Amino acid sequence: MSEKVIPKASINSDSGKDLNRKGFLGWLSIGWLAFAGATGGFFTSMIRFMFPNVLFEPPQSFKIGYPDDFTIGKVDTRFKKKYAVWVVRNDEGIYALSTVCTHLGCTPNWLEVEQKYKCPCHGSGFRKTGVHFEGPAPRPLERHSVSLASDGQIIVDKTKRFKWEKGEWEIEESFLKI
Amino acid sequence: MNYIKDLFDFLSAPTISFTLLTVAFPFIFPPTDWFDKKNKQWGIYKLWTNKGAFWIFMSITFFFIIGYFDPYFNLTMTKPDNIPIILMIYSMIFVIWLGMKKAYNNDARLDRGEKPEEWNDPDDKVLVWPDLVYIELIALILFMVFLIVWSILIGAPLEEPANPAATPNPSKAPWYFLGLQEMLVYFDPWLAGIIFPIFIIVGMMAIPYMDINKKGEGYYSFKERRVGYFIFMYGWMVLWVFLIVIGTFFRGPNWNFFGPFEWWDPHKVVPLTNVNLSEYVWVKLLNKGLPTNIIAREAVGFVAVIGYLFIMPLLLAKTKLKNLFEHYGPVRYSTLMLFGLTMFALPIKMYLRWLFNLKYIIAIPEWFFNI
Amino acid sequence: MAEKEKKESLLSRLGESQVWKSIIRSGVPRSRRQRMYAVLGNVFLHLHPARVPKHAVKIGYTWCMGGLSFFLFVVLTITGILLMFYYRPTVEYAYTDIIDLTEQVPLGIMRELHRWGAHAMVLTVWLHMLRVFMTGSYKPPREFNWGVGVLLMTITLFLSFTGYLLPWDQLAIWAVTVGTNMARAHPFIGHEGPGASLLAIGDINLVHMGSDVRFALLGGRFVGEATLLRFYVLHCIAVPFVAMIFMAVHFWRIRKDGGISGPL
Repeated sequence: MSEKVIPKASINSDSGKDLNRKGFLGWLSIGWLAFAGATGGFFTSMIRFMFPNVLFEPPQSFKIGYPDDFTIGKVDTRFKKKYAVWVVRNDEGIYALSTVCTHLGCTPNWLEVEQKYKCPCHGSGFRKTGVHFEGPAPRPLERHSVSLASDGQIIVDKTKRFKWEKGEWEIEESFLKI
Repeated sequence: MNYIKDLFDFLSAPTISFTLLTVAFPFIFPPTDWFDKKNKQWGIYKLWTNKGAFWIFMSITFFFIIGYFDPYFNLTMTKPDNIPIILMIYSMIFVIWLGMKKAYNNDARLDRGEKPEEWNDPDDKVLVWPDLVYIELIALILFMVFLIVWSILIGAPLEEPANPAATPNPSKAPWYFLGLQEMLVYFDPWLAGIIFPIFIIVGMMAIPYMDINKKGEGYYSFKERRVGYFIFMYGWMVLWVFLIVIGTFFRGPNWNFFGPFEWWDPHKVVPLTNVNLSEYVWVKLLNKGLPTNIIAREAVGFVAVIGYLFIMPLLLAKTKLKNLFEHYGPVRYSTLMLFGLTMFALPIKMYLRWLFNLKYIIAIPEWFFNI
Repeated sequence: MAEKEKKESLLSRLGESQVWKSIIRSGVPRSRRQRMYAVLGNVFLHLHPARVPKHAVKIGYTWCMGGLSFFLFVVLTITGILLMFYYRPTVEYAYTDIIDLTEQVPLGIMRELHRWGAHAMVLTVWLHMLRVFMTGSYKPPREFNWGVGVLLMTITLFLSFTGYLLPWDQLAIWAVTVGTNMARAHPFIGHEGPGASLLAIGDINLVHMGSDVRFALLGGRFVGEATLLRFYVLHCIAVPFVAMIFMAVHFWRIRKDGGISGPL
């Protein structure tokens, strides 16, 4: 009995039917990719979960009265509290400025004496037109769309924003000529 | 008394107090031999003796006593939410005083060739039950009593109901974020609000990997690790804690600066006209209009920022900091430089603002990219 | 004397009883062996080793600040749970519920304990960090644990910050407005951050006011009802959950890195 003993583990080690090293790596990478994909998909959908589809927020479009209600050269602060806009009338017409500071979103105050909007949070200052001139604010205040309704009242639509730095104050809707 | 108050008002202006502190800091925590010599010569090390503690705490208490009887500072000081800051001032300074005292003591022992005070024979240990457990129990009871007394004496503040249309003036972040709010005055939100906090967190986590000085582990010491000590203390005490103190006590309506004994006048006019670097270069220096090409317009700013953050460390690695570079290796060296230079960018920008009204070094509001 | 003896024997007899021994296996800790076992056999105390170096029990070395931070976390958890029984996180009720907590609810200092405790925890965490720095305890082999500690400090600040909104007063809403507007400036994923305008398909911006990181944080475009609920959940469940995981790692690593630091 001088038969050579072949270790069991090495039997069929090179047979094509069974899993070889290359095949194993192939299956492993497919499995691994599938696992990574599933995990990634799961986390993506979890992140998507945090973005609601329907918002329950107040209406963004409202009437503010007739053009004659506004004095030339004055900043009207009546709508600041309810709608967060300043309505300003100058020699040519009316525009609505957003009361959200372009720095970090505080509400600046209109200082009549100094003729500027001054933000209490970090001290940004804006001229009556909304253009920034002091403090950390990087850009002017945004303007909202103003237009006349059929009954002659002014409608402010806050969903539309006009940014000076993109040249959008030239757009007709951002300024109501009177 | 009014003279003293005027003096305090003058000294506490950020330009003055920040400069004083920055200049004094290397003498208090001397990072090099020269500063150490001056520290010894002028006897600043005496701060870390019992007598020094007496004078430190007497002067702080003196300040708060005047403040308490001052009609204006009393309003800021006794605001319930500001009490933790007074606690912070006392506890931080006390803890640093105690640590430095022990450190100097240990330094002297090490010089004499002795072991640090904290050293004990490793075989001579104490039992946790009861030696440690009862200390914990006492500490916990005392602290709970302190907390209950504090809660009974001072009610938690509650302001008017939230009103999204009216921002209170001034409007402050929670006190532990006032350092960030102060940074926001000098840097754009994407830097002061996002990049810097991330850098602070990651940079602090990287401290053990950047400070490869093996000495001074497990006991109070100063001399063996003075450079690291100086950088950390400057970053922590001046650029974080001191900015909190400024934000709490010295920032009033419109985020203007007010001395401690000054009335918070909401109409105080402070000229704050800020100019960008590109305007300095193109308009004031070259007398031309700003170029329309954004990159050309901000080229000087890009050169300055890239030069400061990347080219300067490269040059230093070849020249002055050659030893450090060789000791640290490229990865560790560039990490240290990135975090270190970013940290010192804050005081640099503060001074540029104060001295030249400089707003942005790179100003590209079109891309929301302002530095 | 006789009385004392009697007392002792009562205690011993208690220590020998079946109930006591089923709970605390080592009996009354009198001998050295029993005392060590009292620590080893207790799930809470075995946070500690059985024996520590002498300097570890000196208040001048540790200032007890790490322990107090943990203690404050426990105090804040307990007072926080109690507050949750009365507080409703809605724009309509939040403010009045906070008033009720001082005016109507028995033992009207629960909110004070919670608020001052939170302030104190920020302080103790900072002092703990300062102590660890001054004793050089972040040096190898404790580098990793210092990193965990920095994250825990950040979590502490974030916990405190999310709690700020809940009273729904002027302080709350504006601190959070400022804080979350920073998220708006996040590079690429905030709609006013650098690079956000690059993420676009044709003319349509992918990152805008209704799809950026701030929107996810607020649950809307403004600080409002949805924000209050989100911050409530973050404050009460999500962030404490993360904090506890990191604390477990932090405490475990103290032991694994060789216990309290000390000179060699």
